[in-house]
Amino acid sequence: MPKTSVDHQKGWNFEAAAMPFVDALYNTAYRMTRNSEDAEDLVQETYLKAYRYYDKFEEGTNFKAWLFKIMKNTFINNYRKKQQAPTLSDFAEIEESFENQVSEDATRQTKNPEEELLENVLDEDVQRSLDKLPPDYRMVVILADLEGFSYKEIADILEVPVGTVMSRLYRGRRLLEHAMLDFAREHGYLREGEPAKMRSKSVSK
Amino acid sequence: MMDCKEVGTVLFLFFDNEMEEELLAPFRDHVAQCSHCTKRMAYTRKLLVIVREKCVRCSAPDRLRHRILTSLPHRGTVPGPY
Repeated sequence: MPKTSVDHQKGWNFEAAAMPFVDALYNTAYRMTRNSEDAEDLVQETYLKAYRYYDKFEEGTNFKAWLFKIMKNTFINNYRKKQQAPTLSDFAEIEESFENQVSEDATRQTKNPEEELLENVLDEDVQRSLDKLPPDYRMVVILADLEGFSYKEIADILEVPVGTVMSRLYRGRRLLEHAMLDFAREHGYLREGEPAKMRSKSVSK
Repeated sequence: MMDCKEVGTVLFLFFDNEMEEELLAPFRDHVAQCSHCTKRMAYTRKLLVIVREKCVRCSAPDRLRHRILTSLPHRGTVPGPY
């Protein structure tokens, strides 16, 4: 077979297997790059790489997770360096405090007002809160809560231990919770006509 | 049986269906007799429902689908500049 000939069977197989995930990949790409142009480029490049390495995909393993892993690597190579986004080591400290955080939560009274506040959370608050998360935490929350991947699958995609997935997910969700409650508090105060200065400062770190 | 601190550590695991089998009974036993943890369960459930359901998913634009498909070699002869 001449080298230039196109492997049509591979192409059609790949297309049938990969195209159903274009929305999921784009949504995650958009949340990570926060920009539709970059998100489109990221997904396009992911598909090109996936096609190139399609022969290496192990039949019977999770194809969606495989695509996400390629996109994660592409994202790190293309965007993280450019953006000078906080690196993994910047958050190592936060992850170490995981245990402390857990014990704090255990002693903290779960107040009903917070539960009521959650009712005030709007769709765009969830969005904005997610956007505020540091990339490593954002990624884990997206993979778990939006895409429904298991801890093991997330660990495979991100190439980190399952324990790291658990601690990032814990911390990420807590940060998300605080950010959402801040937005909800703002809506609540605004609705009740409370002075603006009463609004709590947003918790970002 | 677990204590409140341990329940806090594994709370998300429970909702993510990632809790080890042997932890389920001690976890449930504690929550059943602890009003504090019962409240935390309700709160955490609500929190996760909000994150999972209120976060808007955006669909890939049609032009992206088109770009991807036309870049694949087996589709290679579809409208090109040559």
